[in-house]
Amino acid sequence: MPWILLVKNIAAHPFRTFLTIGSLIVAVFLLCFLKTALVSLQAGVNSSASNRLIVQSAVSLFVDLPLNYQTKIEGIDGVDEVCKFQWFGGLYRDQMQFAQFGIDADRFLSAYPEVNVIAGDAKDLEARRTACIIGTKMADAFGFQVGDTIPIQGTIFTRPENEPWVFDVVAIYESTSPNVDENTMFFRWDYLDETLEAGSAYGPRGVGVYVIKLATGADGTAVARTVDERFANDSQRVQTTTEAEFQRQFVSMLGSVPTFLSSIGGGVLFAIFLAVLNTMLMAGRERTRDLGVLKALGFGNAVAFTLLILESLLICTIGGALGVGLAKLTEAPLGSGLRMILPTYVIGSETAIFGMGLALGIGVVAGLAPAWRAAGLKPVDALRSEA
Amino acid sequence: MLSLPPLSYNIRSLFVRWSSTLLTVIGIGATVAVLAGILALQQGFASLYSDAGREDVAIFLRPGATSEGESAFQRERAEILIKGTPEIALDGDGQPLASGEIYLAVRRAKLDGGETNVPIRGVQPASFAIAGEAFRIVEGENFTPGSNEVIVGRALPRRIQNCQVGQEIVFNTTPFTVVGVFDYEGPFQSEVWGDIDRMSEALKRPIWNRVLARVKPGTDIEALAERLEDDKQVPAKVLSERAYLTGQTKILTALLYILGGLLGSVMGVAAVFTGTNTMMSAIAARRREIGILLAIGFRPFPIFLSFVFEAIVLGLLGGVVGCLMVMPLHGVDTGTTNFATFTEVAFAFRVTPTVLGTAVIFACALGLVGGLIPAALAALKDPVEALRHR
Repeated sequence: MPWILLVKNIAAHPFRTFLTIGSLIVAVFLLCFLKTALVSLQAGVNSSASNRLIVQSAVSLFVDLPLNYQTKIEGIDGVDEVCKFQWFGGLYRDQMQFAQFGIDADRFLSAYPEVNVIAGDAKDLEARRTACIIGTKMADAFGFQVGDTIPIQGTIFTRPENEPWVFDVVAIYESTSPNVDENTMFFRWDYLDETLEAGSAYGPRGVGVYVIKLATGADGTAVARTVDERFANDSQRVQTTTEAEFQRQFVSMLGSVPTFLSSIGGGVLFAIFLAVLNTMLMAGRERTRDLGVLKALGFGNAVAFTLLILESLLICTIGGALGVGLAKLTEAPLGSGLRMILPTYVIGSETAIFGMGLALGIGVVAGLAPAWRAAGLKPVDALRSEA
Repeated sequence: MLSLPPLSYNIRSLFVRWSSTLLTVIGIGATVAVLAGILALQQGFASLYSDAGREDVAIFLRPGATSEGESAFQRERAEILIKGTPEIALDGDGQPLASGEIYLAVRRAKLDGGETNVPIRGVQPASFAIAGEAFRIVEGENFTPGSNEVIVGRALPRRIQNCQVGQEIVFNTTPFTVVGVFDYEGPFQSEVWGDIDRMSEALKRPIWNRVLARVKPGTDIEALAERLEDDKQVPAKVLSERAYLTGQTKILTALLYILGGLLGSVMGVAAVFTGTNTMMSAIAARRREIGILLAIGFRPFPIFLSFVFEAIVLGLLGGVVGCLMVMPLHGVDTGTTNFATFTEVAFAFRVTPTVLGTAVIFACALGLVGGLIPAALAALKDPVEALRHR
């Protein structure tokens, strides 16, 4: 096998090789990006905890549940603890930059063991009414530190003269699992409710969802059924689901977006395949004379075939590896920029293998046509050809 | 006066190397088609809202609210608001052309499985007067005021369970009968409409979400908005229906522009590289011909221009192919959640002239950029050296 020839062939047209590798890098990067986006959209579902249930209104996501449901749910067998959750939907600097939830200060952290406070003191959340804890992504994006105050413009809960709400950062958390987003702020639900009660703010009084932490060994399905039956004839019917099912309803809201992203990926793949095929056909045509010499010297058809396939594969391996590298390299800035849409933008090893696999696949398929031709060349004809 | 080599020479040369030309053209076409597809999606979504909005209809929301789902008025205060606003037009009987509406997105099962949020709207008779001829019943009849009857937008029966005429649809615990299907351009096509008081009772929501009113001709809605913003009795945020509906598309439109821009530029880079490769090989194969052109007196700059022209034609062909690839998308129904309201809206891709124009211009630009280096290299060749090549 004339290995030197392989290298020389690739180096024969450095500009062309460079451009082909360049387009491969770009394409593989894009494919990794799209794949990561699809994985990230599902991440909340796949990483959901199995020991938590979500109680929400059976009528609408936007209907609150009555306050007295909390103690009623806590009385049910198999329920360890119940934590309130209320979507706040406020704006920071006139935009929805991160999610905010009102929660029970004394229950939230024990219901969510994946949330670890890494700065400040979690106890301050219970000590101060205006306290909030924020995720690391949000802290990094806006430079928030423990001790800072965050002004939030209410949209559902507004204050007179449209004044902002002000929350004090007492702790910063990180999450060991993607189902708790690190671009989120948790504040005290009782602060919200007291302000509404005092008339210093307007908005609906209630609880968005109740999160149930199951007792050890409790049967989630049975508890969910009991909760639903308990409120079947109460003022609001409820729908109790696993955390995964709850997250899935948001994914299913995306409708055809995942299909759309996949078809874009198909377009990218198709375009890059044509580009590599184009390069390899050009290369194959130019090699005609060289291949004639090779065959005249006694090298077999298999060598001619392999030579072109390997050239194609080598270009695609380099392009693929650099493309995956680029995706990995841009992970942090892209992840930070897209944190509202794709909370967990992480290029996993699965995605890297996926990107490399596609690049190698393109290499083989695009190399086939010229390789076939090379194998079938008659030395006499090949030698006669120009250039 | 520049003397250009005959441009037919460049065009013919594209056909001589047809396999390479074809691959490049399809490659550029695929790039352009992806961009055009995203733009067609955005156009379909945005026009659904902006086409429906009228300038002489005002929307009243609670100050601070960004959508009607967040807005809330106590019924009595909304009535004070309507009575106290002289800008509101009157009907034949001297009654204000204004309607309170309640709005809530409710869980509904989709026909193809899964759940989605469907907006239900409780309206007063004036809502129909304000809608005018744009609102039509296309099947069955309109609901009787005060009854447990509803009508559904025409996008719903084929997407959502229990939305055929004659079927029963349950809100909370109250059953309603679907008596008609309506056509009303815009996001309303994905909504269920019924009597405001019946809906209010069934959903246990005494609060109105917004007030809708036709304003008298010549009313300056911005001035009205300024006045009511700090109104002592009932402060309200006022905007025209068009401004309101356009505002609802901002999040998704921005997202689609980012996605389109990102994919277009990144795939564009790959397409430029491919175009350059094709032109390089095309020019390499014509070294001798270029030598002859130079030897018979053509100047380098016109030669450069003629190769750039060739590259632009390559891009143009790619643009045409891309447009052909994306055309079948036109009118294809799709649906997504509008994240301003968290409700599902149905709409169709729209391959508008703007989309096609953008696609073709983008394709030509890709060809142009891809042709610059090869064309410059061609023009700067030494004629003697070029002619020596066999």
